[in-house]
Amino acid sequence: MPVFHIDDQPVEFEPGEKILSAALRNGKKIPHYCYHPGMSIVATCRMCVVEIVDLGNGRPAPKLQTACSVDAADGMKVETMNKKVEEGRKLVNEFLLINHPLDCPICDQSGECTLQDYSFEYGSGKSEMDYSKRVYGWRNIGTFVSLERNRCIQCSRCDRFTREITGTNEFGMFNRGHELTVDTYTDRPMTNKFQGNMADICPVGAITEKEFRFKRRVWKLKKNRSICTGCSTGCNVTIEHDRNEVFRLKPHENQNVNKWWMCDEGRLSYRIMNERKTRINSPLGRVGQNLQDISWEEAYRAIAERIIEMAPKENEVIALTDTHASNEELFLLKKLLKDGFLSDNVFCPLPKWEQIESEFFINTLITTDKSPNRAGALALKIKGDAKNVGVKNLIDRKLKMAIILGCPFEKENDFHQKIKQTQLVIHIGAYHNCWSDIADVVLPGQNYSEKKGTFTNKLQQVQTTDIAVQALRRSRPEWQILAELGQALGYKFDFNNVNQVFGAMSEEIKAFSGLSFDQIGDKGIKLTKTFKDNGMKLVKETT
Amino acid sequence: MVEETLVLFKNIRKPEYSKTLEGYKKAGGFQTLKKVFGMKPEKVIQTVKDSGIRGRGGAGFPTGLKWSFMQKGSSKPSYLIANADESEPGTCKDRELMLKDPHLFLEGMMIGCYAVGCHHGYIYIRGEYFPAIKSLNTAIEELYADGLLGQDPMGSDFHLDLTVHSGAGAYICGEESALLDSLEGKRGQPRVKPPFPAISGFNGCPTSVNNVETLAYMPFILGDGGVDAFKSFGPENNSGTHLVSLSGHINNPGVYELRMDVSMRDIIYEIGGGIRNGKKLKGVIPGGSSSSVMTADEVDVLYNFDELANIDTMLGSSAMMVFDEDTDVVKLLLRITKFYAHESCGQCTPCREGTHWSRNIIRDFLKGNGSDEKLKRLDRVGGNMLGTTLCALGDAAALPIQSFVKKFPNDFRKYYAKK
Repeated sequence: MPVFHIDDQPVEFEPGEKILSAALRNGKKIPHYCYHPGMSIVATCRMCVVEIVDLGNGRPAPKLQTACSVDAADGMKVETMNKKVEEGRKLVNEFLLINHPLDCPICDQSGECTLQDYSFEYGSGKSEMDYSKRVYGWRNIGTFVSLERNRCIQCSRCDRFTREITGTNEFGMFNRGHELTVDTYTDRPMTNKFQGNMADICPVGAITEKEFRFKRRVWKLKKNRSICTGCSTGCNVTIEHDRNEVFRLKPHENQNVNKWWMCDEGRLSYRIMNERKTRINSPLGRVGQNLQDISWEEAYRAIAERIIEMAPKENEVIALTDTHASNEELFLLKKLLKDGFLSDNVFCPLPKWEQIESEFFINTLITTDKSPNRAGALALKIKGDAKNVGVKNLIDRKLKMAIILGCPFEKENDFHQKIKQTQLVIHIGAYHNCWSDIADVVLPGQNYSEKKGTFTNKLQQVQTTDIAVQALRRSRPEWQILAELGQALGYKFDFNNVNQVFGAMSEEIKAFSGLSFDQIGDKGIKLTKTFKDNGMKLVKETT
Repeated sequence: MVEETLVLFKNIRKPEYSKTLEGYKKAGGFQTLKKVFGMKPEKVIQTVKDSGIRGRGGAGFPTGLKWSFMQKGSSKPSYLIANADESEPGTCKDRELMLKDPHLFLEGMMIGCYAVGCHHGYIYIRGEYFPAIKSLNTAIEELYADGLLGQDPMGSDFHLDLTVHSGAGAYICGEESALLDSLEGKRGQPRVKPPFPAISGFNGCPTSVNNVETLAYMPFILGDGGVDAFKSFGPENNSGTHLVSLSGHINNPGVYELRMDVSMRDIIYEIGGGIRNGKKLKGVIPGGSSSSVMTADEVDVLYNFDELANIDTMLGSSAMMVFDEDTDVVKLLLRITKFYAHESCGQCTPCREGTHWSRNIIRDFLKGNGSDEKLKRLDRVGGNMLGTTLCALGDAAALPIQSFVKKFPNDFRKYYAKK
């Protein structure tokens, strides 16, 4: 790759790449507002000015240049920190602040606001603007984001977002000169499903998420990398939380999966992480009609005793799981039935789903499959079909034991009725649902914000979730429950962490062979052996 | 005695000239076009290069060079667009041409289209120029009726359509890339350059945007002996005549066609007939409101591109605004700055905020709230717009502010020294 120099340090660039893009990619910071790698370059904020002391031909550029719009060239020498450049940034920052309300104490962006950051660096501390500031009224622009135009610095990122990323064109720039402002057209509210991204890309507090407004100061939030489990896309996110309460999900850049974006529905999925009412707080055992608190040891012992007593045969056990379980959990569930009962009767719902084809990448993020691990279930060869024929066939026989992981077949009432007649129903899950109502033993699992695990998304890419918030004291991650259950039944299930489970999985399952947990990293990793999902239907975008 | 040199105005200055196609043909019109159709486009561009004509829109970029940048052999169509969005305060030369001799300009436009291989030319005209729009449309209808536009004019195997598109009243749409955005139906805002329009312009195709006056010279330059004659009208690198829009406190305002080697003093006192009511000259804005102002002592220079650039101002669109000793330059500057504050498109930070802020500061002086500190601040705010924006509007707003403060500081002081 050709090389140019930023502040005397060599930086590699791809031909045709801009100075700013190459600099950011190589970890060099240049202040900027309007530039966003995913959108067109307008070079209007003028904050990213740099001095090009050598254009690559021995001559300097005549004046300060915007790094976002100038192509890097071989042998070019760029200075980003000298006095001239600082003066250039100072004057831009001064101009930006003359009409900015400086209401940081009540602004939600405060703490993650680039205007605030750069004002600390380049602002003067006193204003020479003696005149009243430009003031706009408050506008309601839709359900998801709030628009505070007084704070706007007219970088036009939001305008370009609806034009170039979603293609919905409902947002635009109005008026001109110092009255230039952003708004929706003819007072219509925003309709696209990705409005939250506009709050992300807004460098100031002009567009903020309504859901997060006035909830927490952002510097109090702790951040953990994870993935969104709202659908099978598996957008990379950071879970942002404080004092064990999750406040929001923010997309994290991953060019292979979601680029910089995520959908609003996914953002709202943080709510379930704070759900307390339906959470299962401790292991429960059925006494008569009621479920009673028991200890983990009691629960495992009771289950082991019943199983030994019943001695169920291969086709007298069944395990039902949903595709919200992680790869490891699915693997252990399958292994438990195989090792214990020589049974392959692990079923999950695999309904048909639709993938939108669109000229705008962002529209392909939303799928109709609202579970995060369908591809994992397919890779692990968990049984299932679109019409649940396999479960129906088996369920009509006399079953002795059923293990239910999560909340599968929620709407199939006759499944519930038939499973209810089984002698032993074990439910493993984080929330009370139709299955915990009929279970004999309920084992409390954890939400994906509380445990480690890997999920396989629709692109058959394995990605990890991480522990963000502390789990309920008496709950345990499902993989651990399954491992301990195996141990209680006397099998060789000594797994102490997810890495070991993943290791065993990669040894036994072809699709995962050769992969290791540590290998997955930030960007995820493709399955070793990919396959075709016959349940997927490509549909054209309807406009 | 300085006199007009008639190239563009040779028809207009004839009292009996009728601005019909017939009248234009009778005056020798479309002879050059016929000759040009017999030349290769490369030869046409070379001839224009040889003539050394510089764009008359304001920047003074050599036209032949601009045309030679047009991408050749690309699969995309090429476009030539006439910039008739004449909005610079003080400038009214293109209007004269379009109103009184539209065929001359259209012939030039057709030559230009032939040279760059354009088959659909657009004339982006200022929206307020209703009579000129009408005049152009009538002329174009005549050309279609005569077969000069459309398929195979004069049996040349070349086809050309022309469309007149009127703007919606934004000064910024006279900037070539904003003009292209506006023509595409978008919000008129200057684009990032590069890519320049010659590579990616109208609808992403190679495009050349030329001023009306520049195009109107083409029939003369490509006519017999045109290049040499054109060069003889001015010093080297400033060849040709140019249309000077003379306005302000002057006895004979108007548009005059002059050689490039006439001094400004002669233009004011001989062509313009001196200052109104026998007053003394105080200053001149030499090239449209965006150029730096000149004081009365500075007017002994030749009125052309290079001479004015030497004294840190510019010829721009050759619009000379003269003001006399009674003029309040603070009010004058306020008027200019108000214009730029109103016309800034608002996308670049320095221009959006700077034009508005400086307007407020100048207003302060008029309200009697001025001070030395504010004068310095005005100079600083103006300077901060200079060279820091995407297009030249920031410079256009900054240059008058800086030059007025530098050259007439006492007029500002007058407002706050009284107290």
